[in-house]
Amino acid sequence: MSDSEDAAPRVAIGITFGNSYSSISHTTVEGRAEVIANEEGDRQIPSILSYIDGEEFQGTQAKAQLVRNAKNTVAYWRDFLGKSFESVDPTPCHQSAHPIAHDKTVAFSIHDSESEEPNNVTVSEITTRHLRRLKDSASDFLGKQVTAAVMTVPTNFAEVQKDALREAAQNAGIEVLQFINEPVAALLAYDARPEAKLADKIVVVADLGGTRSDVAVIASRGGVYTLLATSHDWEVSGSKLDEALMDHFAKEFRKKYNTAGDPRKDERSLAKLRLESEAVKKALSLGSTASFSVESLSAGIDFTATITRTRFELLARAHFAAITRLIQSTVEKAGLDPLDVSEIVLCGGTSHVPRVATSLQSAFPEKTVVWAPATRTDAINPSELVARGAAIQASLVADFDQEDIRESCHPVVTVTPHLKDAIGVLAVSGDERGHGKFVPIVLASTSVPVRRTAIINGPPAGGDVLIKICEGSKRIHVEHKEKKEREPVEADSDDSDAELSEDEEPIKSEVWHTERVIAEAALRGVAKGAKIEVQINVGPDTGLTIVAREVGGKASVRGSVPAYEES
Amino acid sequence: MDPIKVPLPLPVLAADWSAPAHDFHAFTPVSAAVQREIEPVGPHFLAHARRKRYKRTFSEDER
Ligand SMILES: Nc1ncnc2c1ncn2[C@@H]1O[C@H](COP(=O)(O)OP(=O)(O)OP(=O)(O)O)[C@@H](O)[C@H]1O
Ligand SMILES: [Mg+2]
Repeated sequence: MSDSEDAAPRVAIGITFGNSYSSISHTTVEGRAEVIANEEGDRQIPSILSYIDGEEFQGTQAKAQLVRNAKNTVAYWRDFLGKSFESVDPTPCHQSAHPIAHDKTVAFSIHDSESEEPNNVTVSEITTRHLRRLKDSASDFLGKQVTAAVMTVPTNFAEVQKDALREAAQNAGIEVLQFINEPVAALLAYDARPEAKLADKIVVVADLGGTRSDVAVIASRGGVYTLLATSHDWEVSGSKLDEALMDHFAKEFRKKYNTAGDPRKDERSLAKLRLESEAVKKALSLGSTASFSVESLSAGIDFTATITRTRFELLARAHFAAITRLIQSTVEKAGLDPLDVSEIVLCGGTSHVPRVATSLQSAFPEKTVVWAPATRTDAINPSELVARGAAIQASLVADFDQEDIRESCHPVVTVTPHLKDAIGVLAVSGDERGHGKFVPIVLASTSVPVRRTAIINGPPAGGDVLIKICEGSKRIHVEHKEKKEREPVEADSDDSDAELSEDEEPIKSEVWHTERVIAEAALRGVAKGAKIEVQINVGPDTGLTIVAREVGGKASVRGSVPAYEES
Repeated sequence: MDPIKVPLPLPVLAADWSAPAHDFHAFTPVSAAVQREIEPVGPHFLAHARRKRYKRTFSEDER
């Protein structure tokens, strides 16, 4: 750790360790983030370990053991780290090794050796074993020993959980350089694309996993991220979609073989049903039909059936609606309107489901970009987003001392003043003569210090110009359309909204409201048709420096507004 | 970040406009800020941390 300077250089990777799947990632010599396939060719490696006669299996091989060797197969434990048995929800482990109380933590009683007696293997030890396998896969791929990693965690992962994860990683020979929040990693992966443009925007990241869904509303300000609100939900997730299909196929099976019994009532049948239903669900993300096929599903009967995507969407309709609602309510929690959301980044495996993305797109304004395979051909694979972000961060901090990284993450550095309102200038709007129109230059929820520049048209005839610096806030204007038969539709209203307007959906639009005038400046003698550059510099104490100048001309003016002082 | 482009024109200065000094009139400070935590992630955060650490301004940092 502290003697890392003397030791061989660090080899750092990104690791995402989910309850359902894990990924390892690195950046190529060209600086591109890439998810590594393990020996079995998997980039999404099931977070599962299984033991047969003392031999350890991981990932896809271990997952297959859920049918025959469920008691010695450990799965869905990530969230148990650093917790007491009383405070965890063991539900996801119903079909694998059951968690038990052990000292102050959680363990699994499994036959992980050749001895007759089972061992109590703690969640910490299981994590170490899993991470060691991940590290070995990455080392094999890279051809050198991995020694360090940036790991991703949910935004509600408590400090004690991070400590437990750090220790488990340490025991696997992995120095955790930094824990970063999963939704931020996903956003970083998009912002790191060569074609990405830096912008000020509100981005919602919805991480839809196997056992949980997590949503974060993020103010993204020139590549600096601030979490405005988060939500976590264990009721809507990928496994619920699997269960909708399990119920469907179990019923189909019983219809066909009514004496054979319910496959959900037998543990082995249930495990087969679950594995195949997940496979069918994934197939339906790509194709419009999929086939279900299980040998000896129940009572020795082989069962095959087909299902269409449409049927699946009907079966899981309530879940899709719940995901949309979760995202909407998190936007509300942040004190924002759907109109404020520039982009929704969908990550996590469940984001592959086309209907999840299309339902969301129709629930949000048309201008809100929904990043998912079903809505954008240039979307990044949602299963890889968080891992890619981790790899990018790993490449950024790999050469730093632990101490430097810790200092950078300290509240002294991260807790900063954020603007309450937007700062901008008043321009002349075409129609409201005499009234200024507020044009935002630095947005609310931007951390300071910050500098932003705008290029604004001068008055058409040139001359002396008024630069009026104001604070403004965005308001949502709601127009309730009156129901008037035969009235011609307004020219600019969208045809595709026709259905909605029939339901009297109000028309919403954003309106900037000038809150107060901060300063005025005069820029004298600008040329006809000149362009004017206004630069706003907000200092660390929110004191302003304003510089306005004619682009390519001589006119310029500069002034400052001291910060608000608490008396 | 690229400058924001605003197609609307700025207003013409009123003939009787005056300022205490240098054509600039400061009226009131911006509203009190809200303390929030920025995420210690990504290249732009690192630039922020560097500026904070060495107490540099944006233009000093660019030099
Ligand atoms: N192509 C796909 N189509 C539909 N669902 C998919 C697809 N790929 C993966 N999934 C589902 O995504 C879920 C796993 O999501 P993810 O890989 O994000 O796991 P995770 O972060 O470990 O989840 P959690 O911690 O919530 O359990 C599983 O339910 C899986 O079936
Ligand atoms: Mg996840």
